Amino acid sequence: MLAAIVAIGCSPAARATIPPDATASMLPVATGTPALSTSPSPAATFPLTLTDDEGTSVTIPARPSKIVSLTPATTEILFALGAGDRIIAKVEDTALYPPEAGRIPNVAKFGSVDVEKIVGLGADLVIAGGNTFTPPEAIAQLRSLHVPTVVVYAPTVAKVFEDVALTGQAVGRGDAGRDLAASMRAQFDQIGAATSSVSKPRTWYEIDATGAFYGPADDSFLAEMIRLAGGDPITTGSPNKFDIPAERLIAADPQVILLGDAAYGVTAAQVASRPGWQTMTAVATHAIKPVDDTVVTRPGPRIVDGLRALVAALHPELVLPSPVASVAP
Amino acid sequence: MTVSTGAAIRSSPQATDRARDVVRRHPRAVFGGSLVLLAVLSVIAVGIGSVPIAPSETLAIVLHRLFGLQLGIAWTPASDAIVWDLRIPRVITAAVVGVALAVAGATFQGLLRNPLADPYVLGTASGAGLGAAIALILPIRVVALQFGLLHALAFVGALASMTVVYRLSRLSAWSGLTNLLLTGYAVGSLLAAGLAMAMYLSGASLREIFAFLLGGFERASWTRLTLAVPLVAIGSAGILLRARALNGLLLGEEAAAHLGVDVARERVILLALGSLVTAAAVAVSGLIGFVGLVVPHVVRLTMGPNARVVVPLSAAVGAGLLVAADLLARLLGDVPVGVVTAIIGAPLFLLLLRRTQSGYEL
Repeated sequence: MLAAIVAIGCSPAARATIPPDATASMLPVATGTPALSTSPSPAATFPLTLTDDEGTSVTIPARPSKIVSLTPATTEILFALGAGDRIIAKVEDTALYPPEAGRIPNVAKFGSVDVEKIVGLGADLVIAGGNTFTPPEAIAQLRSLHVPTVVVYAPTVAKVFEDVALTGQAVGRGDAGRDLAASMRAQFDQIGAATSSVSKPRTWYEIDATGAFYGPADDSFLAEMIRLAGGDPITTGSPNKFDIPAERLIAADPQVILLGDAAYGVTAAQVASRPGWQTMTAVATHAIKPVDDTVVTRPGPRIVDGLRALVAALHPELVLPSPVASVAP
Repeated sequence: MTVSTGAAIRSSPQATDRARDVVRRHPRAVFGGSLVLLAVLSVIAVGIGSVPIAPSETLAIVLHRLFGLQLGIAWTPASDAIVWDLRIPRVITAAVVGVALAVAGATFQGLLRNPLADPYVLGTASGAGLGAAIALILPIRVVALQFGLLHALAFVGALASMTVVYRLSRLSAWSGLTNLLLTGYAVGSLLAAGLAMAMYLSGASLREIFAFLLGGFERASWTRLTLAVPLVAIGSAGILLRARALNGLLLGEEAAAHLGVDVARERVILLALGSLVTAAAVAVSGLIGFVGLVVPHVVRLTMGPNARVVVPLSAAVGAGLLVAADLLARLLGDVPVGVVTAIIGAPLFLLLLRRTQSGYEL
């Protein structure tokens, strides 16, 4: 099951360029790479059938007006696409963004979804998180109650762009979705070009340090972001392990330490006082920097800001091209 | 695990009895043997880890750190940090926690005359867990000497739950052992409900609470050790000095009273010492199950019920078991140490139970 999801995630072209022979007739976009296409396409026609990130074919009967967002990234994407006013309920978000989303009631928190309430609100589209972020039972239950439920899961940067386009499509903002995805991709390409030739410091990105030390798994989204920002990520040594033994961290000798857990009160001074960490180059050179973990790791429109923040932390000397104006809703 | 005499036990019942008698008549030798085994395990545990470091290099680092000796072997600062700042404190912490839990387990089993008693029996586990959970929910982050609010509140929670249980049990008209146990069970259940609620409300901190409940030695350090060692040492020594009272209480409260043991007083003191030792262990390493329950039984099965033998030997065996379990846990990629103790310990314990010919009563 996981392998299947990952397989989908690893072939970005597979869904972005939906095979014309299969579903194109039902889709607003017929050909080309939709995320990059800026040419006007026919207005979205509902009913619309699309394939979500778990490979499920979902039919949305009419342009949704009561949307439930079950991932914080989806909430951000919908607001960025000008569909924020159609969200009637959302998942609890401890790092709420944008502030306007604060008025939307919560119907889910990590690990539990109030299916009854979603149905009671008369939701006509639910966008849920894959890889068990939204409990699969809740998704199955919603679908059995005939609530159109699209599952999104972005384990790679390319997949985030696709999800932006897919979300736009699902809510009848296909053009805006594609434009935003194209703008994000263009900025990633620009920044990637700027960092491709710099030296790559060995980077420990700390997600959490309570109990064990948690950082990016091999081939994870976070590892990809660090590479794109011009760093050499120290990963856990396995694609599905998230903690790393302290001795391996010391042996890996990070040159930069990025504190994704700074929001939880972890400081550079605390890091420097950890047993055995004094031998690390990053500690000796005081290259321990806080970063805003939400913008770096949340697979939404702000990963562009996240990448910029990573570059600023890893290569402060580097002058990046100024941000491309974001797409107006 | 250290005290079986190996092949000698294998044959006939008479031979088994004879072998056991030999073992029982030489508690000092058995204790010495288990200390040697503990030392061997500790050396292996310092030598092995997820980063390979040559034994010669490890030895050079240790000798240099301890005695300033130079063996002419070069090592990197990273190896030095790994051996001296990570592995050695971790191995010692495992040993100290093993001592604490096994001694507390032996104490509570004897004191409560209940074979199912362990260091957590009187609500300690839920009390400590709830304390840790509250620390994580409070929007305060205090870190002093590498101990956070979590460790402090876990320590307080363990001691407080035990105090409440003891006080409550004395309120009713009959203040026997059964009352104490049942009060402990009731208070423990209440605290466990509070813990479950706190976990439900904790949101993003859930994994931290979970990590605490599973226990482990990942974050061991010299600083933490220097705070835990005195508590465990004082508590364990105090219990050992009261072995006579513990022996008396094992016969029953009335018999103990006839032997001149001040039952009420000794019970409070032993409870307090056992709680202190348990709380210190919990604050350092979270909740590690199994060691405190099974190690004292293993020792009693092989050596008989004399607390003078059971307490020190439990300490040595508990330390050895946790050092070995932590080594295995590290080699398996930091799986929870409590899982490993159960996987090593449970089959050994069952084997020992099967081989026991004579009856076994606490």
